[in-house]
Amino acid sequence: MTERRSARHAGGPGESLTRWLVSLPPTLFLLVFFLAPALLMLGASFREPGDFGGLAPARQDGQWNLSLETYRFFFGDWIYGEIFLRSFLVAATTTLLCLVLAYPLALAIARSAKRHRDLLVLLVILPFASNFLIRIYAWIIVLGPADLLYSPFAVIAGMVYVHLPFMILPLYTNLEKHDPALLEAAQDLGAGTWTRFRRITLPLSLPGIWAGSALVFIPVLGMFAIPELLGGTGDILVGNLIKEQFLESRDWPLGATLSILLTIAVLLLAGISAWAGRPRRSSP
Amino acid sequence: MKGRASAWLWAAALTVYAFLYLPLAVVVLFSFNDSLLNAEWVGFTTRWYATLFADEQMLGAAANSLLIALTAATLATVLGTMAGIAMQRWRSGLLRCLPFLVLTPVAMPEILLGVSLLLFFRQVLDLTLGLVSILIAHITFSIGFVAIVVRTSLAMLDESIFEAARDLGAGPWQTFRRVTLPLILPAVLAGFLMSFTLSIDDFVITFFVAGVGVTTLPLQIYSMIKVAVTPEVNAVSTLLMALTLTLIALAARLAPDALKGRM
Amino acid sequence: MWRVVRRLALLLLGALATPAHAEDVLYLYIWNSYLSEDTVRRFEAQCQCRVNQDYYSDNEEMLAKLEAGATGYDLVVPTGFAVETLLRKAALRPLDKARLPNLANLKAEFREPWYDPGMRYAVPYATTVTLLGYNARRLAQLGLPTDTWALIFEPRYLEKLKGKVTVLNSQRELMAAAMKYLGYSVQEIDPARWDEAKRLILRAKPYWATFSNSTYIKDLAIGNIWVAHGYSSDMYRAQQDALEAKRPFAIEFRTPKEGAVLAVDSFVLLKGGQRPDLAHRFIDFILDGTNAADVSNLIGAGNPNAAATPHIRPEIAGNPGIFPPPDDLRRLEMLRDFEPKTRRILSRMWTEIKVR
Repeated sequence: MTERRSARHAGGPGESLTRWLVSLPPTLFLLVFFLAPALLMLGASFREPGDFGGLAPARQDGQWNLSLETYRFFFGDWIYGEIFLRSFLVAATTTLLCLVLAYPLALAIARSAKRHRDLLVLLVILPFASNFLIRIYAWIIVLGPADLLYSPFAVIAGMVYVHLPFMILPLYTNLEKHDPALLEAAQDLGAGTWTRFRRITLPLSLPGIWAGSALVFIPVLGMFAIPELLGGTGDILVGNLIKEQFLESRDWPLGATLSILLTIAVLLLAGISAWAGRPRRSSP
Repeated sequence: MKGRASAWLWAAALTVYAFLYLPLAVVVLFSFNDSLLNAEWVGFTTRWYATLFADEQMLGAAANSLLIALTAATLATVLGTMAGIAMQRWRSGLLRCLPFLVLTPVAMPEILLGVSLLLFFRQVLDLTLGLVSILIAHITFSIGFVAIVVRTSLAMLDESIFEAARDLGAGPWQTFRRVTLPLILPAVLAGFLMSFTLSIDDFVITFFVAGVGVTTLPLQIYSMIKVAVTPEVNAVSTLLMALTLTLIALAARLAPDALKGRM
Repeated sequence: MWRVVRRLALLLLGALATPAHAEDVLYLYIWNSYLSEDTVRRFEAQCQCRVNQDYYSDNEEMLAKLEAGATGYDLVVPTGFAVETLLRKAALRPLDKARLPNLANLKAEFREPWYDPGMRYAVPYATTVTLLGYNARRLAQLGLPTDTWALIFEPRYLEKLKGKVTVLNSQRELMAAAMKYLGYSVQEIDPARWDEAKRLILRAKPYWATFSNSTYIKDLAIGNIWVAHGYSSDMYRAQQDALEAKRPFAIEFRTPKEGAVLAVDSFVLLKGGQRPDLAHRFIDFILDGTNAADVSNLIGAGNPNAAATPHIRPEIAGNPGIFPPPDDLRRLEMLRDFEPKTRRILSRMWTEIKVR
């Protein structure tokens, strides 16, 4: 299909010009405002902090003022690794909890009558039409009197609450496409509810699970507002650390290093998720 | 047998719905609380909405948010539609890397985009942070969303339409204007609405690239949550919820498949 | 309703039509809750202009934001050491004293600050002490002392306060409190002593609820938090908020007997500001006795302005947390900025404090 399409569209001077005109503006924009900053970040991680913050000049008195200092700083001490690890743990917990909460809901909607589904999905999206800060604030109000504020519980609750729809929607999209005939056939063959779920529904929903998990895990890694507003004294995560470097300690090289390492982690995870969730056989 | 499973399932589903709604219901409810500290319910009042509309700082932030969202959404939609078309039709040569360029900002944690743009604006452009920096940042992360929606919509179209147009002698622009655009218009509009919503709601990226005297609603809400938590925050939250809900409902109406298909 | 829509539309058009810095707007970057709305409104009426305020809750935050490119502010209100930093960065515009006749109102002891000899760049505005604010009823019930840092550092007291204490989310301030409690100077950089302070903090940390630069104001007033490490002006605000909301307890604040950090906050003009004329008018306005008194009466901060003294309410003038008596003053220290290398070490220690 792809081959045929591009073969049909190939050739013709108008086509080439169109190709450039259409693809150049967004490409250029993203190269300048996404890729260049990312490369700058990489470069900044090798620089020295400026006297008053920011970055020291890359070249001073004709000599390159670069070093691996920040990387040495980072790897020379387990403390930063600990924060990364803790962030991964929080992200994993959040993803798991989101999965547990989202699955029944997504399944229920997918199994409901067709005419109700759009409304039910809208009812899922509705609470998340609110600003993410408001969702956090809601938890401040709810947890405050209960004395649960400023604790790891509060942080996880906030994370789950904010990211739940990102798990519900991909799961639902996947589950909706399941052919009910499969389940009926299994039932006719004597499979119980749990067996049907375990051997048909669950495996078929794996791509949805992977997609949803990626959509929850990765953003959680970078969050700082939730630990800041809901967290206690021990709940700092990588996002907080990065924010602190740029907006408090004025140590931009260290902030850049942390960002680069986080980026690498995210790219790896995204890669794994894409590989794991890839369609296993030719699907229509 | 099947009925029982469904009942359990629905019970679980309803619990999750409740979990989703109760905290926000509390926010909305307490926007009518007649108490400065908003620690416990005292009485009913609408005065916080009145305070809200008299709050110059808040109105300024709202105006900024609207202005930025409109501009960013428009530009992001234009660029994103182009990107979506490009990704769908041309996959050879340099353009093979386009999907990566377009989709990575969507996948990255926002803080990374925020700090890298901050770095870029300061070190390379020496730009004074302000409206423009926020605008550029918002467009950057919105392009991907629009592109995905448009691409999905394009993928669902029947190729033969374009062939027919070509056979009838239509050039690329004509084909676009009279065949493609009308067909993908719902997706384009949905992309616009999504970009608008994303921009109005954005906190993290705006936090890093906002400048002097330019504050947006989320930033304002953030500083209010940290310092001056009167029910005014609840009031603005409630209104903001109503607005974004309307927009999302509209987007969902216009292109439900495109929105879901992107997952 | 229509009034609102119209106003919103006008604001929108205004934002569209005018460049980033509209005419007759003074851009002020200031501590939150450090300038009363009343004062601002009176100035706006007098100068027929608008004051646009952005807020910060920590000097580090302010310096970092300015470094990160927020360069359009006319006025900022840094604490002493931050003035020093800004001066070394050559970021400040010198004062035009001819436009500041009210400068004569300042008390003698504020005219030659160590960070700005000759008072060429900074005009003192207010003073605060970083101290402990507390829920008087709770602490009396628990029989806890209210005049010592031990309250937030000693487990024997913290046991009764578990989860009810917050400390400042500021590397310098928290370390300074620990240093003062241990009997050292806040400028101490001896690694062994820093280590001692770190262990002191880590020992107390499990009992603290969270690190907070501003949320403690409302937390104290509501009653969720019983002891907070914070700025005296914020404590005053919490006190007033609790009174207004008729809470069944009072918020009080005291300077710990081991000493504390004194902050003198001054107005400085940034080079990037577009309206030095408005900035000078504002400073002169604030230097006027009646206006200067606002910062004490309405904000609860100490006052470097002699002409304000007759206008300050007696209960505020007599509050030792706001106007430290000579005894206390002897034990107060002002912070000075560290070298970048020292800052990085402190930053790493701070990370350790947060993570362990």
